[in-house]
Amino acid sequence: MNWLVKTFSSSIGKKLMMAVTGLCFIGFLMVHLAGNLTVTAGGEVFNAYAAKLHSLGAPLLVMEFVLLALAVVHVITGLYLFYRNVMARPQRYAVNRNAGGRTLGSATMPYTGVVILAFLVIHLTNFTFVDKTGTTIFQIVSNAFQNPVTVLFYTLVMVVVALHVSHGLWSALQTIGANHPKYMPVVMAASLIFAVVVGIGFGFLPIYFSLIA
Amino acid sequence: MTQTINLTLKVWRQGGPGVKGRLDTYHAENISTDMSFLEMLDVVNESLTLDGKEPIAFDYDCREGICGQCGAVVNGRAHGPEKGTTLCQLHMRHFSNGDILVIEPFRARAFRVVKDLVVDRSPLDRIIQAGGYISVNAGGAPDANAAPVPQETAELAMDAAACIGCGACVASCPNASAMLFVGAKVSHLTLLPQGKPEAARRALSMVDTMDTLGFGNCSNERECEAECPKEISITNIARLNREFMKAGFFSNAR
Amino acid sequence: MQLDGKIPAGPLKDKWDRHRFELKLVNPANKRRYDIIVVGTGLAGGAAAASLAELGYNVKNFCIQDSPRRAHSIAAQGGINAAKNYTNEGDSIWRLFYDTIKGGDFRAREGNVYRLAQVSNHIIDHCVAQGIPFARDYGGLLANRSFGGAQVSRTFYARGQTGQQLLLGAYGALCRQIAAGKVTMFPRREMLDLVVIDGKAKGIVARNLITGEVEKHAGDAVVLCTGGYGNVYFLSTNAMASNVTAAFRAHKRGAFFANPCFTQIHPTCIPVHGTYQSKLTLMSESLRNDGRVWVPKNSGDKRAPGDIPESERDYYLESKYPSFGNLVPRDVASRNAKEQCDMGKGVGETGLAVYLDFAEAIRRDGEEMIARKYGNLFQMYEKITGQNPYRTPMMIYPAVHYTMGGLWVDYNLMSNLEGLFVLGEANFSDHGANRLGASALMQGLADGYFVIPYTIGGYLTGESPGAVNADHPAFADVVQAVEERTRKLLSVKGKRTVDDFHRHLGLVMWDHCGMARTNEGLTRARETVRALRSEFWENVLVPGDSHDFNQSLERAGRVADFMEFAELMIVDALHRQESCGGHFNEAYQTEEGEAKRDDENFAYVAAWEFTGVGKDPELHKEDLTFENVQLTQRSYK
Repeated sequence: MNWLVKTFSSSIGKKLMMAVTGLCFIGFLMVHLAGNLTVTAGGEVFNAYAAKLHSLGAPLLVMEFVLLALAVVHVITGLYLFYRNVMARPQRYAVNRNAGGRTLGSATMPYTGVVILAFLVIHLTNFTFVDKTGTTIFQIVSNAFQNPVTVLFYTLVMVVVALHVSHGLWSALQTIGANHPKYMPVVMAASLIFAVVVGIGFGFLPIYFSLIA
Repeated sequence: MTQTINLTLKVWRQGGPGVKGRLDTYHAENISTDMSFLEMLDVVNESLTLDGKEPIAFDYDCREGICGQCGAVVNGRAHGPEKGTTLCQLHMRHFSNGDILVIEPFRARAFRVVKDLVVDRSPLDRIIQAGGYISVNAGGAPDANAAPVPQETAELAMDAAACIGCGACVASCPNASAMLFVGAKVSHLTLLPQGKPEAARRALSMVDTMDTLGFGNCSNERECEAECPKEISITNIARLNREFMKAGFFSNAR
Repeated sequence: MQLDGKIPAGPLKDKWDRHRFELKLVNPANKRRYDIIVVGTGLAGGAAAASLAELGYNVKNFCIQDSPRRAHSIAAQGGINAAKNYTNEGDSIWRLFYDTIKGGDFRAREGNVYRLAQVSNHIIDHCVAQGIPFARDYGGLLANRSFGGAQVSRTFYARGQTGQQLLLGAYGALCRQIAAGKVTMFPRREMLDLVVIDGKAKGIVARNLITGEVEKHAGDAVVLCTGGYGNVYFLSTNAMASNVTAAFRAHKRGAFFANPCFTQIHPTCIPVHGTYQSKLTLMSESLRNDGRVWVPKNSGDKRAPGDIPESERDYYLESKYPSFGNLVPRDVASRNAKEQCDMGKGVGETGLAVYLDFAEAIRRDGEEMIARKYGNLFQMYEKITGQNPYRTPMMIYPAVHYTMGGLWVDYNLMSNLEGLFVLGEANFSDHGANRLGASALMQGLADGYFVIPYTIGGYLTGESPGAVNADHPAFADVVQAVEERTRKLLSVKGKRTVDDFHRHLGLVMWDHCGMARTNEGLTRARETVRALRSEFWENVLVPGDSHDFNQSLERAGRVADFMEFAELMIVDALHRQESCGGHFNEAYQTEEGEAKRDDENFAYVAAWEFTGVGKDPELHKEDLTFENVQLTQRSYK
């Protein structure tokens, strides 16, 4: 198994871990967004969706642990790569200018990543690890979004998520080697569209909740 | 038409490796817009020499954009602001009278400063030594036409082989990564039938060497591709990633 | 002294085979006991270092650049010749041999040139095996193109970067041997002298260009692959660091310098645009296939080219050479351009250029067709000059490009100094008085991959390995001489910079020992060079010190050698009272203005022995005998 450790501990191996875990999160985001959007059909549907999800029991728990493990890998590898990358240029340039490759998304990956991590903690404390007796998830969420500060915070974070994803999706594909001149323009565009969808989709929800409540 | 312009240069001066450096200001006056960037530096150096000062050390050789010896970062851009151009082929007509140019060496932990704008790029040689070749001795080759290579493949290999090893990819990468350099060499050789037998060993060994030399990690910022004077594409990095994974997970090479 | 080229006896086509058989072999187990010093990492040096290491010798390889991958072979654009006959046009080893001998104006050895043609095919095989991405046809087989001086397509190419790709192939092979521990690489080292012990080359003294340390390196043989001396003209298509120092210091230690006056001037270069100019850039000769060369009829006409009406243009090549027109050979085209400019009809700001006009070709074939043929060249031209050649005529001027002369070597590529081998452009051997296009790459690789591996063994069998080490007192003497010279350069502290002197020297050489030479001009130039040399040692300003990375000091040493070498070139040019190939003495021309050889008196190699700075060198001759080809005169009318 030495070869496995060696392959994963190389620079490309680490990037591979980032890419694969990242792609899993993109999958998760899609499911999560689809689930959340059920709220547009009314609070009842939303609650039913939540109930159905939780009735899965053990499989859900497994999924949650998998997500946690993926997050641990993604965060720790990401931080380590960030550290290594900073170390790779101890003396910085006096003038920094882009040649046209860098985007806002790519340039801010480590920072948007940290913001998302912080957000996740808050988000989980707010909506997952709360006492749900005598109330519904719809109620909890609606209550939370009564506060305009929370709405603003969530919406802004969703912009950050969109930024992270705008680079993350195509970059993950590039890292796993899926780059072909014929398809890359499409992949780049899809990456951007997906980012916009995620940004608007999730960003719209807090506003929606605050309005319907 | 030829004009002359005056420029203010802020040039990185550093006595030697490990010595503290600083940006010094010089005035380049009556610079013909037909000059190349390096000729402009020659003119500055001539006047520094006559003034009894030490001229600016900078690397150059062929001055026609192929040897890869020259290179500096001008106002934050490796080889200056022109696309697909080495510093020696960059002409002063792309600058305007009164411009302030900050000129710094290629910076990376792996590239030690030798003096002023001169850096040590021998880590790139070390990477090639780790496998950037096909192991054939002189004397034993079969007829050149024994193995046909599709024209498109030969062209793709040539695209990658055009790398001049200047190190601008490392210099311009926000992470000082050498992935474009390594990707170009791995792609060039792995695309050709002659390079296939060693493909797995080559990818593993070159990446391993690159990692130990202190280069950063690729995060797909694409600055390398944008700055490469030979406009080598990051599809070569994707190919390197594939080759590395194939070698790491599925080959018998170690 | 009559020199012996040691050409093996027997029929031409069996010479090399027989010679290889007759050469003594070094026992494979003994090879690792020999240290070989290879100076230079171009096509010849890189190939030699790699292939000698493959055989098992220990190689120490030196280069002045920061990496062996940057030697100036990298800049060769066009291609590499081989007698493969893949195009079925009737090419053969014999034809390549004949074209090369004739192209060299019958001033090269038959034996060497035939061997070159023989091994040319192995070079292509080996390079393909190395992964050189040569151009290919749709079917996947290798493509060929035609090149000057040949009626068959025998040139293999990798876009316009053939030299780069071949060099990277040699560099890869070298890297493999470095990794295997068989080659020790010394980058950023400049060979400053040769160490000769008991008449045999036994090592070199080199300066570490980063620390300034003067290092001693001993070896059982020394292989010089240090390129040509075109930079004696200051402006040339050579790289900035290309120099004569290694070869010239070997010359001063006793190695003969052969035919130094044979220099090649390439007609289609981008002209000089100012006094600050540092080098010249070549553009492919193929441009002359569609461009028309002209100058204004009236000297001093400063109008823009578009404002000069057709009736006031002089298409001088077309009128002078009605049958070949713009396609006359390199030297003829170059000389005529100079003649027009000397008459004051040159164009551009400096008056040192002629027009190469594509207007008619664009009208005839359309811009798209011209772009397809020459797009990359037009782009390169625009990048450098800022002018669009689709709209205004290009300006071109000849530039020094290659030097056929070099250290004298025998058939084994060994100089008259035993143990000193000289390969590639640094030797004089294969191109005679003029080199054909796409032959330089062929010669460098032939010498490195396929000649030296055999011939060096023949020498080493007579040498006991490691007989001399760097502690030998001869090394200390040479180091002292080198350090003394460096001290002297730094201590002058005069008023003129090194480049200033170099430019001056270059101009003198260009004017009097360039494309067209006269006895009077050469005689005057010799005086000027001598005066300039003494001024150099009294008035040069070299900043900094010797214990540091000091580029001015590096250049100063090279220019000091050019100052001495230039005189040797002039002496050689003055002595050769004929015109041939790259040497054109105006007193010797046919009625059509072509080079007129004197086979009766000058069919020999002139090898010069150093007798002291400023003293007349001693001439040694190696007679050239032609048993297989008929000597003919060129005509292009």
